Amino acid sequence: MQDNSTSASDMRRAGGRLVTFGIAGIVLVLAVAALMLFLALPDAGAFDARVERIFIENSDLTSPAEIKLLEILAQSGTAFSDTLASYRLVIFVLLVFGTAMMIAALVFLVLLVSFNRRMAQIERVGIQVNSLLISREENTVYLNNLGFKLTAAAMETMSVLAEARMDDDVMSGSEIEGVISGRNAADCDEAAGATRIKRLRDTLGNQIVSELLVKNIARRGYMLAVEKDVIKVL
Amino acid sequence: MKHIILSLTLIFAMASAAQAQCYADYKAKQDNPLRLHYGVAEISGNCSTGNAAQQLGARLAARGWTLLQIQSVFGPEGLDQRKASAGQFYLRF
Repeated sequence: MQDNSTSASDMRRAGGRLVTFGIAGIVLVLAVAALMLFLALPDAGAFDARVERIFIENSDLTSPAEIKLLEILAQSGTAFSDTLASYRLVIFVLLVFGTAMMIAALVFLVLLVSFNRRMAQIERVGIQVNSLLISREENTVYLNNLGFKLTAAAMETMSVLAEARMDDDVMSGSEIEGVISGRNAADCDEAAGATRIKRLRDTLGNQIVSELLVKNIARRGYMLAVEKDVIKVL
Repeated sequence: MKHIILSLTLIFAMASAAQAQCYADYKAKQDNPLRLHYGVAEISGNCSTGNAAQQLGARLAARGWTLLQIQSVFGPEGLDQRKASAGQFYLRF
């Protein structure tokens, strides 16, 4: 058991590192993509420089009309580069959203893994009562929807204990006996209450064990109610 | 001796004549937004492309233009054929 818990915490630490690396990786990818996005697109000056070169290289481009056309060409290039800039912004926003989604997905994945691990731990802890229903008419107590039939006397004890628990009280044997028999607690014997508790434990414990561990299959016999691959013999 | 003086005078006269009558056509630009122009300007002193570039570069820069290129330098006989192309920038700077 000691080995198991050590490896579990190791895995949790490794998982934390993995998450850190994962988020760092995602942010790095975003940063590189954003950098490429902003470097790869030409700025407004590129179009102007191209037009300027055309103007210089062609010595016969000298009439006012031709020069005006060149200027218009440069302006349309500038307008186009403005459009590109807005596209770039949109792409960048989408990139940020995508990164946020990826980080969220990673975090949820890790949460899922840790929840699974905790579920396995809870399963290993064994029976944990998350509902206790006392049915007086049927003389039955339901633990986690498993019904256990009790004798009337054990039922009384169970009800008294349940009421005391709801009031956050601790009861001694004589007090239990006093409440059930209707006498003063001071007049009651401690041993009488202890006997009631013992009977309750015997009937309930016996039934719980038969339900959870040693099953009785009618007219065939007895069988352990556990998976066979969880059994180890030291 | 007389020969030398004569030829010197001739050279001097030619040089001064060239000095007074030297023109260059050039291309210039303004940035943001890009504006271009082709113009003709008078050059003082040595009638060469290098000199013209120096003078015109300074003159244009004072008015917010950047000289791109000196096309050629020429005398008064070349003015007419370039007048139409230069338009408002004919002998402006």
